[in-house]
Amino acid sequence: MKKILNHPWFFWLILALPSIPMTLALSQGSDPEGLLHPSGEFSARLMIIAMMLTPLLLLCRNMNWKTGWVLWLLKRRRALGVAAFCYALLHTLLYILDMWSLQDMLAELPTPGIWTGWLAFAIFIPLALTSNSISVAALGNRWKVLQRGVYLAALFTLVHWIFVHNNPGPALVHFVPLAVLEIYRIVQFAKHRNAETLST
Amino acid sequence: MTQTRIIPLILLVSLLAAGNIYATGRMSCDSGDKSTWKTKAELIEKITADGWTVRKVKEDGGCYEVYGRDPEDRRVEAYFDPLTLENLLIARRGEILYKKAQ
Repeated sequence: MKKILNHPWFFWLILALPSIPMTLALSQGSDPEGLLHPSGEFSARLMIIAMMLTPLLLLCRNMNWKTGWVLWLLKRRRALGVAAFCYALLHTLLYILDMWSLQDMLAELPTPGIWTGWLAFAIFIPLALTSNSISVAALGNRWKVLQRGVYLAALFTLVHWIFVHNNPGPALVHFVPLAVLEIYRIVQFAKHRNAETLST
Repeated sequence: MTQTRIIPLILLVSLLAAGNIYATGRMSCDSGDKSTWKTKAELIEKITADGWTVRKVKEDGGCYEVYGRDPEDRRVEAYFDPLTLENLLIARRGEILYKKAQ
């Protein structure tokens, strides 16, 4: 059982699950517009989960909670990121398919809900392309610096979501847990640094 | 190391700022019982004559919500009063292009 759970394909299978109903709907001739929301939402969710892991590990350690499951996910964080990109790619392709007019896409490009989405997707591309062991080894320290671009992508994703829906509710429900964990991380870091200053 | 912590901080501040700058594009119509509504067919007929191209009509918040092109040939989402078929709102990806004065 453990062998199956820890198999890389098992995790990819879980990550692919949300795409099954989407593919079925598309194959049954459903309007691509109806799939815009779920594809974008799953992309954001996976990105948020990937970003939450490090501060979550910090929290669990400080609280003496079990860290096994966080570590299990941390080992698979790159896959989470790549899956987030795949859903973002699907989301972008569905948008193009739904619009099917360069003129219409250009016309709405200046709206705050649209250019932010394109920018978030553009940032995602190099992050996804370097999410392989060869790139990690080749880039060394620069890999981490590059992957920090996800913070910028997250910011644009959030603005994209709020403006496209013209309603901050659903976007904030997803982003607030991440924000809370980031506050925790900053507070912990500040405490730690103060303790170091005092001891020297 | 400090820089590493500044990025999440920027994210957080922006998050709070982003939460504050929004205006709702959601419409609601005080349209009462649906038996008094004009039909979707009547809506389509009227607004097509006004220069709209209708792709899809839904009901939302007691209003008719139309996806299509407005008379200015912009691809938009618009709300109409189901009693009077009056245009209440035109929005493009959440950006409000027209809103009827209350």
